[in-house]
Amino acid sequence: MSIQNLNTFDPFADASKGADDDVQDGLVHIRIQQRNGRKTLTTVQGLSSEYDLKKIVRACKKEFACNGTVIEHPEYGEVLQLQGDQRENICQWLTKAGLAKPDQLKVHGF
Amino acid sequence: MAEDEAIFDPTLKKKKKKKKTTFDIDAALAEGNANETSEIGNGELESKEDENRQKDDDAEDVDLDLDFTKKKKKKKKPFSTEELDAALNDINSETVTETMNNEEAGDDNFDIDMLDFSKMKKKKKKKDLDDFIAEAEEKEDKENIEDNVNLWSGSDRDYTYDELLNRAFEIMRDKNPDMAAGKKQKFVMRPPQVVRIGTKKTSFANFTEICRMLHRQPKHLLDFLLAELGTSGSVDGNSQLIIKGRFQQKQIENVLRRYIKEYVTCHTCRSPDTILQKDTRLFFLQCETCGSRCSVASIKLGFQAVTAKRAAIRAKTA
Repeated sequence: MSIQNLNTFDPFADASKGADDDVQDGLVHIRIQQRNGRKTLTTVQGLSSEYDLKKIVRACKKEFACNGTVIEHPEYGEVLQLQGDQRENICQWLTKAGLAKPDQLKVHGF
Repeated sequence: MAEDEAIFDPTLKKKKKKKKTTFDIDAALAEGNANETSEIGNGELESKEDENRQKDDDAEDVDLDLDFTKKKKKKKKPFSTEELDAALNDINSETVTETMNNEEAGDDNFDIDMLDFSKMKKKKKKKDLDDFIAEAEEKEDKENIEDNVNLWSGSDRDYTYDELLNRAFEIMRDKNPDMAAGKKQKFVMRPPQVVRIGTKKTSFANFTEICRMLHRQPKHLLDFLLAELGTSGSVDGNSQLIIKGRFQQKQIENVLRRYIKEYVTCHTCRSPDTILQKDTRLFFLQCETCGSRCSVASIKLGFQAVTAKRAAIRAKTA
């Protein structure tokens, strides 16, 4: 364990790698929340701020035939919110559109 | 006819015993380079066989003890054959014959019950014959062992990766037979008892029991469950967890599975024998089996959408 700390670490490794077309960094959390009755809500948190979330939500609404909105949150930034259980759909759509890699998606909930 | 069989079977048994002992000696000789691990394995085997032989002798001398010895033998033998398998690295034909011998050994114990004196006399004659047969087999076995275990030990050629890998795994299996090397460990758990309370709440009845089984603080599991499900809930007086919202057992199982994967099983060796420690605001998973220690993700609630009536919230806050 202590050896790990002794390793030389290049702080500019990320920078030198350059911003290849991959702007998404960090995990995208996809959560589900129960509303009244059998209704549910899907939230997508952690999408890169480089993306235009308004455009994304517009495409998603059309694709999944559901309503949705973008919510500004002081801590988590812009969060996508879709009606119904769209966890599967949004995972597939994000990977298909190349916005996030499958290992960057983290699905929560039951 | 029955007598003949009775006489014949013990000799078979003897033969097998002989075979085994010769195996070990051969193996030891073949691995003259003195790698201690395999020697230890062989030593164990030999000692076991010695025990077996003693037991057999006892069985032959004292009829009353037969049942007892037989039981013991039955228990012992599969174990020894397993070890042999590991040591010899799948000589399938051998194992087949051995299992057959085992069956026969079981049979001839009955025979011994029936008639002992006649056999006692004739055994000695048979023994010599057996020795010859055993010696003949000895040579074959030697070749087999050298073929399978140490192809490269005698020769000048380089060992291949696969051979080394096999060797490492054999030694590992020899040393600790209870360890599931390469096999996937199964972690059996009691299913969560999930009952609906009314229309809006769900009860997780054996919540504390499951916490105890996982050796985790109820609070930690509670935090995880509530964060994952995105609801609120609490433990009530009967030590059951009441969660807001409708959940089925299958759904809770899924979440529990994720919890176990992240916070209970060791990330290195996948053993469930771990301790969760908190160290400078971070949770560390310490494995009791392999001794590895790694940090685990902290439980974050994340973004929570407003699901309650906004008017009600406004009324509450204002």
